Amino acid sequence: MALIQEILVPLLAVNDTTLTVVEISLASGSKVSKGDLIMVFETSKTTYDVEAQTDGYIQYLCEADRDYEVNAVVAKIFSEVGEAAVAPVIGPAASAAPRIAATVTASPSLNGHVAAAHWEGETIFSYEADALIVSSGIDKNVFRGRDFVSVADVRGLLKPAAPKAPAVASAPAASVDPGKAIVERLSSAKKREIEYLSDVQRTGLTSTINTYVEVEGIFTHLNPALKYLKDSLLPVIIYETSRLLADYPLLNAWSHGDGVAVYREVNPGFAIDIDKGLKVVKIAGAGAKSIGEIENDILQLSGSYLDDTLKLEDLTDITFTITDLSAEGVAFFRPLVNKMNSAILGVSAIDGKLQRVVLSLTFDHRVTEGKLAARFLKELKERLESYRPADGAVHQDISCFKCYRTLREDLGGAGFMRCVTPEGKDGYICQACLKGF
Amino acid sequence: MLSNKTVVNHRILKEALRIRKVEEKFLELFSLGKLNGTVHTCVGQEFSALAFAGQLKKKDFVFSNHRCHGHYIAFTGDVRGLVAELLGKASGTCGGIGSSQHLCNNNFFSNGIQGGIVPVAAGYALGNKLRRNGAIGVVYIGDGTLGEGALYETMNIISKWEIPLLIVCENNYYAQSTPQHINLAGDILARARAFGIRTGHGDTWSPESLMQKAQEAIDYVRGESKPCFFLVETYRLNAHSKGDDDRDPADVAHYREKDFLNSFKEESPSYYQLYKDAVDEEVDRMVGEILLEDELPIEDYYEQTEDRTEGGWKPLEAINKRQVELLNQFFRDVIVTDDRTVFLGEDILSPYGGAFKVTKELSFLRPDRVFSTPISESAITGISNGLALNGFKPFAEIMFGDFMTLAFDQIVNHASKFHHMFNKKVNCPVVIRTPMGGRRGYGPTHSQTLDKFLVGIDNVTTIALNTFLDPAIVYRAVLAEEHPVIVLENKTDYGKKIAQHIPKNFVAEYNTDAFPVVRIRPAVSAPNLTIVAYGGMADLVAGMLDQVFLETDKLPELIVPSRISRLPLEVIAASVCRTGRLAVIEEGSAYAGVGGELIASVVERTGQKITAKRIAAHPVPIPSVKTLENIVLPDKVRILQEIMTSFS
Repeated sequence: MALIQEILVPLLAVNDTTLTVVEISLASGSKVSKGDLIMVFETSKTTYDVEAQTDGYIQYLCEADRDYEVNAVVAKIFSEVGEAAVAPVIGPAASAAPRIAATVTASPSLNGHVAAAHWEGETIFSYEADALIVSSGIDKNVFRGRDFVSVADVRGLLKPAAPKAPAVASAPAASVDPGKAIVERLSSAKKREIEYLSDVQRTGLTSTINTYVEVEGIFTHLNPALKYLKDSLLPVIIYETSRLLADYPLLNAWSHGDGVAVYREVNPGFAIDIDKGLKVVKIAGAGAKSIGEIENDILQLSGSYLDDTLKLEDLTDITFTITDLSAEGVAFFRPLVNKMNSAILGVSAIDGKLQRVVLSLTFDHRVTEGKLAARFLKELKERLESYRPADGAVHQDISCFKCYRTLREDLGGAGFMRCVTPEGKDGYICQACLKGF
Repeated sequence: MLSNKTVVNHRILKEALRIRKVEEKFLELFSLGKLNGTVHTCVGQEFSALAFAGQLKKKDFVFSNHRCHGHYIAFTGDVRGLVAELLGKASGTCGGIGSSQHLCNNNFFSNGIQGGIVPVAAGYALGNKLRRNGAIGVVYIGDGTLGEGALYETMNIISKWEIPLLIVCENNYYAQSTPQHINLAGDILARARAFGIRTGHGDTWSPESLMQKAQEAIDYVRGESKPCFFLVETYRLNAHSKGDDDRDPADVAHYREKDFLNSFKEESPSYYQLYKDAVDEEVDRMVGEILLEDELPIEDYYEQTEDRTEGGWKPLEAINKRQVELLNQFFRDVIVTDDRTVFLGEDILSPYGGAFKVTKELSFLRPDRVFSTPISESAITGISNGLALNGFKPFAEIMFGDFMTLAFDQIVNHASKFHHMFNKKVNCPVVIRTPMGGRRGYGPTHSQTLDKFLVGIDNVTTIALNTFLDPAIVYRAVLAEEHPVIVLENKTDYGKKIAQHIPKNFVAEYNTDAFPVVRIRPAVSAPNLTIVAYGGMADLVAGMLDQVFLETDKLPELIVPSRISRLPLEVIAASVCRTGRLAVIEEGSAYAGVGGELIASVVERTGQKITAKRIAAHPVPIPSVKTLENIVLPDKVRILQEIMTSFS
């Protein structure tokens, strides 16, 4: 009775076909007891602890800071110490062992639904899924425990077709003269970030459009709805964006093969980067939440981010991203579209003098085009400006039909009068010209 | 002359004057705009009402037609209820819902459909005969109704089955505006005699003699428990309805002079005036009071109800018996345990036991409760309606679903209407069973699935049996229904066993609704295609769920409703919300069908964008030749193909 447990790389999120081992807790050959922490994996979103399911002796088949494919055997537990001590073959296992280990408890299936029950019976593969399995050289046994396997399930296991490995890892790097520069290894999280951002940007088919939003007096109305994030536009932008996205399904989607996958729900995420690395966290169901509730979510999620208590679901299935660099005083910038998104909205800082803020929308041209994105941005601008006090909403650029002075330039403060022009059209006349008559 | 008249009981004269006063009052109120709708008055025909309806016992019954006010007053004496009814007041005998042509009070019923009430009356009379309560009934028709086929279907049956029903034909020589000689061939009484029905003959100009002959006819029907047909010669002195009178004024004047009440006025002016003043005072005062009354509020008539499903899914259990055996077993149990049940249909007597053997040996168990009928779908259904009104639970079998068209008037204008048009005084818990469906090569008129015509009838529940549920579960709920139910069985399903072929990795369940919904879903994974199929299609579709997945890569969940008149939207919409895709598979053609209704309702309910597809029969008559029949009706190949192209 030698081998009693194999530890495989778990499938934690459909898009993570490889995981990084970030911690090996023990030394090979150590005695382990049931429940002991063996190792820690890192996904693109979070970390995952693996505990021993049994007592025995551990043998590691992996190294820290390396990536391993899902279902690869990364450790074994033996009943005898001698067996564990035998020098193992270490390296990223190319082909997974044909067994689903006990550590894999959840398997994502269609519609993001997580099948709770484990299926004891036969697994049925659709013909198309079967063909894909054969052509991809996957071992069918990895699907054991499933009742049905469709193409989407198989794709979920496959790496994204184009970059077989993360873009950075496979990029040929010229050698560096250590006298001239010091090479620092990229963190796993940074590699993920690069991989995620290059997925859409790599195509070069993104474009960014900008608009400005008049914000004069906007907080007179907004601040009463906010408890802590006074003078911040982020809650209302998330609020309005998630409502508006319902009318713009293509901005709540991603480019998928030769089609477009449109999300059924609107779950916007916002980017945070406060010393702990860039993360995008999800405001689930924002379309049904009030501004106050969204503010509350922002605060809670930021708290979780700082405490490292973000959950997997806080980080997955984000359908649209909002990145707010207003705190950094930026005038405008070009945000980068995230993987499995078709657009990202960037919020710059409010220009105190002009009382306006620039919104930038980068979109994936494979999914939509400038006209639609522009319409979205225009509508969002109008929605946001509608929060301004009503008197501020009067057009400042109406002009006197005689002298062409605009209302904004009316420094006398007397205002304009509505009138009928000599051509018989509706128009405005300034006080100066009126008195001149 | 005078001697003949004076012997007429003055009580009868007063009653006749009262009827005439009420009718004239209606015409007056109509011209004042106080009366909504229409009236058909019986001025001139009053003694026919008094002679028959007026001489019945309280336990007897009367069915009448559009010209029914006199019959109503003569039988019930309820002038107030009638006047309030026509004035549209809540205190009217039917709350103002039915008005002039649709009255109901105790055992009095009238309906505005010509001829259709005759089989209903026959069914009511049959119920009395089964109860042996000595009650009989009268059904009034006019000479215009002699053109309706339902009348002759019924005369054949009441003669054959010796049903104690007295048909009174009021011959006023006009069918609305058309003189009799244009429409009527042969002899009226000879028609009844040809069915072996005893006939009687009288007129309203000799009331005394008419009263006597009517009493004799009533006694004959009651004593012999046999039908009778009585022809009353009469004349209506007013128009068919209100202003539509094109008759020769001289002709009308002749009969006006001949009219018994008018002669009485001439000959005994003081008595006439005395009686007339009394009824004038009574009716005028009554009308004055009623005009101040309130109408029925809509909440008392109709309130929208939402169908709620109970949830609670239970696993389906396979039964190693054919559907037809289970149906037969259920009916065997019911016919001996439930005294309300009566079975009617063509060829249902044993040993034959019906074309599909559902009623096998029932007639051995209860010979008095199983009626093998002539080929008369209208009468079978109408008689069943009458039995249902009389407290029975009739099961009418229409041999092929295609023949439901012949029963349609009875379903739409009678069974479905009684409860509401009589302002909820009566229920008509009739059950009409019929097999639908093709794939047996029976061709255009014996293979159809006509459910689209049967699912939109107010107050009628339409059920489609399937091969997953024990039919006893469904029929127990049918038995408990208080309103009409149509049960669509399926010819090819009769021979199948229950819940036998559930594909691998799928789970079959049913919920706790009275008419349970069956769901066949993937064991673990979430489905991404909702398929709805019912009746005969359900079995075919269930058997190919695995194939749907293999070939289309869409993981289906099949929902099989039993009740298709009000579909289980909650269950279906919940599924569609998850899958975003809905395929409805019907054996009838798609246009204006159950699939269209379902998709519209689901979209309304979910407000979500879904991809939907109706897969249905091609819109042509079903060919007999097998290869073509298999193309016209949706088969596995076509279903797979259409799912693939619609949802890829």
